[in-house]
This record gives sequence, structure tokens and C-alpha cells, in this order.
Amino acid sequence: MDSFNALINAGLRAIAAAFSWGPPALSLAVFAVLAGSGMIWAFRKTSDQAKLQAVKRKLYAYLLELRVYSDEPSITWRTQVSLLRANLRYLGLALRPAVWIAAPLALLMIHLESFYSRQPLALDSDTVVTMRLRSPVDGAAPDLTLPPGVELTAPPVRIVSRSEISWRIRPRQAVSGELQFRLGGQTVSMPIEARRDAHFIPGRRVNSALAVLWHPDSPRVAASAVDWIDVRYPDSAISVFGLEINWIVWFLIVAMLAGLALKKPMKVVL
Amino acid sequence: MKWLALASLLLLATGCAHQTTQAAGRRLIVLGIDGMDPGFLESHWQALPNLNRLRQQGDFRRLATTVPPQSPVAWSTVATGLDPGGHGIFDFIHRDPVTRQPISSMAEATPPSHSLHIGPYLIPLTSGSVQAMRSGRTFWQILAERRIPATVIRIPANFPPAECEAESLAGMGTPDLTGTFGTFSFYTDDPAEKRSQVAGGHIAPIHLENGSATLQIEGPPNSLRKDQAQTAIDIRMHADPAAPVARFDLPDEQFVLRQGEWSDWQRADFRLIPGLKSVSGIFRIYLQQVHPHVRVYVSPVNIDPADPAMPISTPSGFSRTLTGKLGSFYTQGIAEETSAFRAGILSKDEFLAQSRKVLTDNLRMFHYELGRFSSGLLFYYFSSIDQNSHMLWGRYEEDLLDIYRQVDQAIGDAMRQPDTELMILSDHGFARFDRAVHLNTWLMKEGLLTLDDASNTGDTEGFAHVNWDKTQAYALGLNGIYLNLYGRESGGVVSLADKQDLLDQISAKLLEFRDPATGEHVVDKVYFAEKTYQGRNLKHAPDLIVGFRRGYRASWQTALGAVPAAAIDDNTQAWIGDHCMAADEVPGVLLSNRKFRATQPQMVDVPATILSEFGVPRAAGMLGQTVF
Repeated sequence: MDSFNALINAGLRAIAAAFSWGPPALSLAVFAVLAGSGMIWAFRKTSDQAKLQAVKRKLYAYLLELRVYSDEPSITWRTQVSLLRANLRYLGLALRPAVWIAAPLALLMIHLESFYSRQPLALDSDTVVTMRLRSPVDGAAPDLTLPPGVELTAPPVRIVSRSEISWRIRPRQAVSGELQFRLGGQTVSMPIEARRDAHFIPGRRVNSALAVLWHPDSPRVAASAVDWIDVRYPDSAISVFGLEINWIVWFLIVAMLAGLALKKPMKVVL
Repeated sequence: MKWLALASLLLLATGCAHQTTQAAGRRLIVLGIDGMDPGFLESHWQALPNLNRLRQQGDFRRLATTVPPQSPVAWSTVATGLDPGGHGIFDFIHRDPVTRQPISSMAEATPPSHSLHIGPYLIPLTSGSVQAMRSGRTFWQILAERRIPATVIRIPANFPPAECEAESLAGMGTPDLTGTFGTFSFYTDDPAEKRSQVAGGHIAPIHLENGSATLQIEGPPNSLRKDQAQTAIDIRMHADPAAPVARFDLPDEQFVLRQGEWSDWQRADFRLIPGLKSVSGIFRIYLQQVHPHVRVYVSPVNIDPADPAMPISTPSGFSRTLTGKLGSFYTQGIAEETSAFRAGILSKDEFLAQSRKVLTDNLRMFHYELGRFSSGLLFYYFSSIDQNSHMLWGRYEEDLLDIYRQVDQAIGDAMRQPDTELMILSDHGFARFDRAVHLNTWLMKEGLLTLDDASNTGDTEGFAHVNWDKTQAYALGLNGIYLNLYGRESGGVVSLADKQDLLDQISAKLLEFRDPATGEHVVDKVYFAEKTYQGRNLKHAPDLIVGFRRGYRASWQTALGAVPAAAIDDNTQAWIGDHCMAADEVPGVLLSNRKFRATQPQMVDVPATILSEFGVPRAAGMLGQTVF
């Protein structure tokens, strides 16, 4: 799983790097166009285009019937029922491609989180780093070694009720490094980004094979005692024409527009 | 006729052109320093180099304050050029003549007149509103009408801010999100803490499980629910088992505090209708102690300037712009945590640390405004000297001097502005507050106020045990005595014919009133509202305004209508300085980088001077004249 995630990450990083000269909205738009193209291609490949076309024709016919016989209640009623049936049929036909598309799209979006949902740590501002253990917290907190330019500004807090330990750190200069935790003779690292130009900001680093599906940015934690490690990065927003919006909104708008634009050239019935 | 019309137009145009010429490019900075005392300045000129230079290069005078010398009263006069009889603000607290209960003198909220009832919810069909109680047009409204740029930051008694095109931010009188002047919360698992309510705050017990506890922070009453249930958010606090440090988890935020540290501003949404409507507030958390008992202080929840639930600025987006430039800031009118210091929850050093944060906040905004000031008027208000003088006056001179020094540096920054006129003013000075006078008890001892049972004296507020059928006068607020007047007070017993005799009688007795402990006179002057005020907006005016001698002030119990046993007590509270005395005892200051012509300037002269500097005539009814 780690290799698979690393492969996807490497690909995404290469695309992001190619467009790093522009604002984040640009590279995200590139991802969205690629996703939109992929979705439309997958839709064509996984759907029954002939049946979809037939259902759509029926839908148009029923709509026309509604307009023509608007003063005939019995016909209108029957047409409404037919319209509903045709709609359900359409949704049924669209379900299979939707299922095929959902998995890779979700995977892509989970990976894109690391590029667009977080900002690097601000210089001279505190943030919290938390490690959750798989066993109760007892004894001293693990030793934490910080990269140069990052300070520990409070003693660690051992949270017995949650088996967590939190540290407060403050970057004093631009940093792209690793926090090193030493516990039970093992060393665990966690990347940290405090550079203004950082594009890839890994989120939680986890241990479980299931959890890594949701947190694919870093390889799984090797130490068995650790459940996850998390650095609280500030949330990010994408600036589009002066508006600050959530990156998902921008991604979906561009992906949808790309899909609609490619519908005709790719001869896809939607 | 044609020639006459043309001549009139020409005259008008000439007048306008003259005004424009006089106003064009003119730069005037007015700094309102609440509570700056002339005597304190005179004793510390050497420690305050900028103020000292200003008085040497320009001028320095005592500024006669208003009757009574209270901040909302005096600053309302500064804002409007009217005396209290004109602007209608006579105290921090007014009374409702029907119920005789205290009400805020500065603003009044009106609920929506029509609402739709859906289950437990009330959906308003018309909008509610908050109105300022102050009458009169402000100098910045007049300037804005003449297209003279004006920025007015935090002037007191300007909530909600006067409608105009000038940029303004509300100051003293702006409530916290719960609608009070500031209600803090304090959480502890210390069994020795038995209190649940103190003046200006509430104390909540918490129970720690494995070092973790939930702190429930109260927001405003839910105006969209029939039961007006209090809104709240939960914060989880996790204390380390041994080290003096804790982590706090909010819905969208997480931070670690060491013992003795304040958090940054935290933003929270208080839900009115889940998923549909919420109000945003900001607050700070202070981790006072972790072991052996947790003690956590949470500041009053301030109106979020980025998303204000009530109007706090003009234009309405101005507070949002300021937040974008400066981050969150205190919006509560009186931000210094004096209530927690008075209640013994914060120590003096903790109070000073918080107070410095308020001043730092304020100085950051001041420097931002100074940096973008190009022409017209910049009015900026500082509260720190006043609030710190209340807690430090006469006992902690070095600490107070430190605050004066910081304000002095800000004044130095303003003095460095090129081609700028500078005026510094304060609304009153300060004096010690050694003895607390229970005016209602004194009235009772004089036979003017009667209890239902003579033994029912105590600190219960709201005239709980007063027999109104046998009461001729009562005291409420910090300087006021009201007659129980027939036709005005509900069930009033004093006839209009007897009014003046009774007022004369009370006044004479007050002037004879001696402190049983020292034999000194307690009252220096008694002012009759109808003779003292020129304006006729006396709806909320007390009939008599008591001008105490230095060292004496109406007790806190008097302010809210309590009748304790003794007429005078020692002031044993942390609030040791005050100014609610005779106006002559506590004048303010006026300084400028120009010489004054006026030898005895007054508060009403300030707006007249500001308008005059821009060539704008005084509005009708405005008193005072330029000091230059």
C-alpha cells in the first residue's frame, strides 16, 4: 500500500511541480481537467450508451407530452408516472459508471488533500503535534528531536484519557524537515513543512493498514506502539478571482466543466 | 430678482469653497485618553517625555469635566457638544421609572415585533434592533456630511455606532456576546471554591476524569427559541498528570497552554438553529493553575469583529477589514478584566498581564490607523489608563506609570506625523476610593427611604425590601438620587408641589453628611438636574447628582439598588481608584501642539474645536467654542 501511495504521490507531485509557477488554483484546475477527462472516458467505457440514449429520448418525449397535453389531466398524470420511471431507469443506468468512477476519484481527492487543504506552518506561530499510542500513556513522554529552526515552546502534555501526547512547537525559520520521536528504542519520524512555497503538506501519519487509505501522504508508522502522529496545519483555501473558496468546490466545478466540454468530442451520452 | 438669486448662489459657492479650502489636506489627530489625570502628569513629566515635550511645545490645561464625571456622560458630551441634558446620558446606569430597576444608559435592544412559532423555535418576521440611547449629532457625522474624511475608533457611548459614512468602531458600551458589559467564566475543581456567581462573572465547578474535563462556555441566549435557552459550546481540557500544562480541544481548534499562559483569540460558533443559523464569538483562555487543582479563566465572549452579531462599526464591513489587517481584537467596550481582579480570581499581576494585552491590541490598531491616515480627522481612544487607575491608583504608582509610559510612546508616534495638529484629552482625572457610601442606607437613616422591615438591610439588589408607599427618595447608579415622584415613578408618593422643597432638604442634609469614622464631610457638592443641565432631555436624569469629596464614592451596592446596614464602609475591594465624585475634584486634561486661547476649557469645547479646525460651523444646539 505504501508503494502504491508513494507512486500516486510522486505522479501528483510531478504535475504540481510543473505548474508551481502559477497560483494553486491553476495546478488544481489541471488536476480537475484530467479528472474530468478521466471521468467522461470512464463513463463511456462503463455505461450502456445505447440504453442511455434510448432513456434520454423517452425523457424528452415525456416532457414534450406534458407540454402538449397540459389540459388533459389523465394524460398528464400518466406521463408524470412514466417520467418518474424513465428517471429511475436513467439513474439505474448511471449507477454502474458512477461506482466505477467513485473509487479512483475518491482516491485522487484524498491524495490532493495534502496539496490543497493545508497551509504550511506559519513562522513564529505555535502549533500542536500529537502522537496517539496503542497502549495507555504511562511514564515519560517520548523524546522529541526537532529539526533546526523549530522550537519546543511547552512541555509535552500526556493525555491519559485518550492515550495521546501533545507537543507545542514553533517554527522560527523556514523548515522542510522531520520531527524525530524516540520511544521504546525505536525512532519514528514525521515530516514538517514551514516553507511559504510548500505545495505538498503531509497530514496524519498512521499505523493501521485501513487508516492509511484515508491518510496516504506518508508511509505507515513502523513502530508498533504508535497509532498515529498528527501535525495541526492551518486550513487552506484556494483563491479564485479574489474569492477564497474550499479547494473541493473549485476542483468539482472545473472537473464538471471539463467533462461537459469533452462530452461532444468524445461522443459520450450523459 | 435674478441678480439677487445669482448673488446668493455666488455667496453660497464662496462659503463652500472657503470651507473646502480650509478642510482640504488638513490633518487633525485627537487622542482620547480615558482617565488621564492632570495631577499624575504634573508629578511625572520627566518619566513621560513625549507628553512633556508636547506641553512645552504646545499647551497643557485642566479640562473641566461633566456632571457627573463618568465616562459615558463625558464622552457623549465630547461626541455631540451637548451637555447631559442634551444627549440624555447621565450615568452608566439609568433606571426604569416604572420598575425602578437599573437599565443600561447606553443602548437598548428591541426584539422583533412579529415572529412565526415553529415547534420550539421563533422565526422572526421583522428584524429586531439595537438603538443607542444617546441623542444629538456627533462631530464625525457632521464632518462626514461635509465629505471631510474622519476615522473614529472606540469612542465610548457609540454603540451601536452612529450611522454615517465616516469609519468608526464602537467603544465603551459595546457589550459582549451575551449582552452584558462583560461576563467572564471561571472553571475549577477546587472544592474550596464555593461561589457560583460574582459581579461580572460566573464560576463553574468541573470534574476531572483521567485529567480531562469539559468546560461549557456560554454564549448568548438563543433569541430564536421560545425558551431563550442559553447557547453554549463545549471545550475539552486535558491536563498532564504531573506537568503544569494542558491541551484544549475546541470544535475546530486545538492548542496547548502552560500554566500562567493566555491563549490567542479563539473563534466559536454558537448555534441558534443547528445547521442553519449561528452567531460567532471570540474569547481567550487563561490557564491559571493545573495542580493540585485546575483553575481556568475564560474571558467574556466578545462579538467577533470578522462576523459581528451586532453592529459595531460603520461602514458595517469596517470591523471585518480591521480583522483582515490585524487579526481578531477586543470588541467588548471595557476589555480589561477588572471584574475578575475584584472577585479575587485574577491576582494583580495577572490582571496587569491581561491589561497589557488589551493595550497591545489597541496600540496595534492605533499604529495601523496612524499608518494609513492621510487627511481629515483621526480620533483614537485609549481605555488602559482609566481601567488601570481604577485598580492601581494611589497604591501601585510604578505599575500605573508603566501604563502611562506606553501611552506616552503612542503619543510620541502621533507627534511624529508631519503637518498634523494634535489634541490629547481625557474625560476626567482620578482620586482614591477609600470609603464606600451606601446612599440608600443614608436615605433610610434620614427617614426618606423605608424598608418593609427595618431588619431587611443587606446587599440584595433591586430595592427588594423597599416599601415604596413610604419612600420619598432612592439612589441608583454612581451619583444619582431620584425622588419617588407621583406621576413619574410607578406608585410615586412625592407630589410635584413638594418636589423642590424635598430636593432642597436632601441637598442640605447631604452637604452636612459627615463620615462617622473621620468626621469629614462626605459630599462636596450637590447638583440639581434642572439647574445644572441646559438641554431638556431629562427623561433619565436623576433629580440630584451627588458630588462626593475625594476618597468617597457611592458603593457598588448603591449602584444597583441595595440597602446595606451601615451608611459608609471601608472600600476593601481591589477597585481602589475612582472619579465618580464632584466634577471639580477630578478634572481631565487637554494638551495640544498649539497654544490654547481658552483658559478654562470644558468638554463641550472639544467638538466645537474639531469642527472649527475644518471650517465647519457648530450644529444647532451645540455648546462650547474653539479652544484655539
